[in-house]
Amino acid sequence: METQSEEQAVTKPADSGGEGGPPQVAGAQAARPEDRMTLLLRLRAQTKQQLLEYKSMVDANEEKTPEQIMQEKQIEAKIEELENEVEEAKTAFEMKKLALDRMQLSTALKKHLEKVDIKTSVLMDNMKQILNLNKLIMKSQQETWDLEEKLLDVRKKRLQLKQASERKLLEIQTEKNKQKDDLDSMENSDKIKAIQQNLETEIQITTVIQHVFQNLILGSKVNWAEDPALKETVLQLEKNLTMI
Amino acid sequence: MSALRPLDKLPGLNTATILLVGTEDALLQQLADSMLKADCTSELKVHLARSLPLPCSVNRPRIDLIVFVVNLHSKLSLQSVEESLCHLDAAFFLGKVAFLATGAGRDSHCSIHRNTVVKLAHTYRSPLLFCDLEIEDFRAAMAQRLVRLLQICAGHVPGVSALNLLSLMRGSENPSLEDL
Repeated sequence: METQSEEQAVTKPADSGGEGGPPQVAGAQAARPEDRMTLLLRLRAQTKQQLLEYKSMVDANEEKTPEQIMQEKQIEAKIEELENEVEEAKTAFEMKKLALDRMQLSTALKKHLEKVDIKTSVLMDNMKQILNLNKLIMKSQQETWDLEEKLLDVRKKRLQLKQASERKLLEIQTEKNKQKDDLDSMENSDKIKAIQQNLETEIQITTVIQHVFQNLILGSKVNWAEDPALKETVLQLEKNLTMI
Repeated sequence: MSALRPLDKLPGLNTATILLVGTEDALLQQLADSMLKADCTSELKVHLARSLPLPCSVNRPRIDLIVFVVNLHSKLSLQSVEESLCHLDAAFFLGKVAFLATGAGRDSHCSIHRNTVVKLAHTYRSPLLFCDLEIEDFRAAMAQRLVRLLQICAGHVPGVSALNLLSLMRGSENPSLEDL
């Protein structure tokens, strides 16, 4: 590097006296005051511009410090944000372009249509066909909408029915449970037990009485088979009361 | 050796300094002469260098514009320019650097593809100019252009700064380069 740097040939050809110089040399030595004035004004503008540049440089350098402090993640987030912005701008631009294209196309079409005879043009035919197709599409869409509505109605009804049947089933279930409970409580009650005991004793008593009667009739040696009324009575005594 | 920094010195009154960097001494000298011939209200100073960094012993004025001259016929010039670029402060690339490719006219002599230079300029976000410096008329026109650029970079044109220049020059660039 050092050897190369030595090769630097700084030429200051005619720093102010060369061909580049004449204007300001003339300005510096001119006798006319207007030239001097213009030179001064130009220098003022130049200095102002240079001051502005230095100021912007200083501002930029000051602005840099918080950026350096910023974490990498923040920078990444910011980059993402900016990328999103760029994407948005791109999409907006695309949209605008498309709109512009459409407008251009429509104007071109308009101009073209103005020139061409309306009845014979293929374009008009195409347009008509497109319109017809559009109408058809709209009609079928309407139909599908109607059908969908109907389907929805049917589904609604089905749902309602389902809910109603569920409710009914629940009611039946509760009713059944209630009956069962009632039965259980009845069977377990004291009254029923007492009645059953009573019934059993009565049945036993009646069986004893039956047997007594039977034996009485048999012991009296009456031919009970001849008298139908008696026969019926005897046969009746044969009944087992526990089977009732 | 420290990197060259822009705006590190006070500007001289009504002076604008340009630094031409390139390995083709003769071409640079001719270009410098043409620039000094150009009609200009500011006092021009032209420095020539084969490569960067510059020796720090020399007392030199503030450098307002650096032009890297690449001869498309020699790979050495491109290589030396690429090496020199490392010794520049990043702030220089805010409009105070330009690339000048010469020799594109004679396609058969080219040993560097034009795209290489275009990519280089794009990488450093700096304008790229094409000019055949060997032809005098072209050289004069380019010198005129460079003088104008230099005036803007030196702040001699009120209302325009080097930063504006950067975005203004971009318009002439190939838009497809944005995707590179």
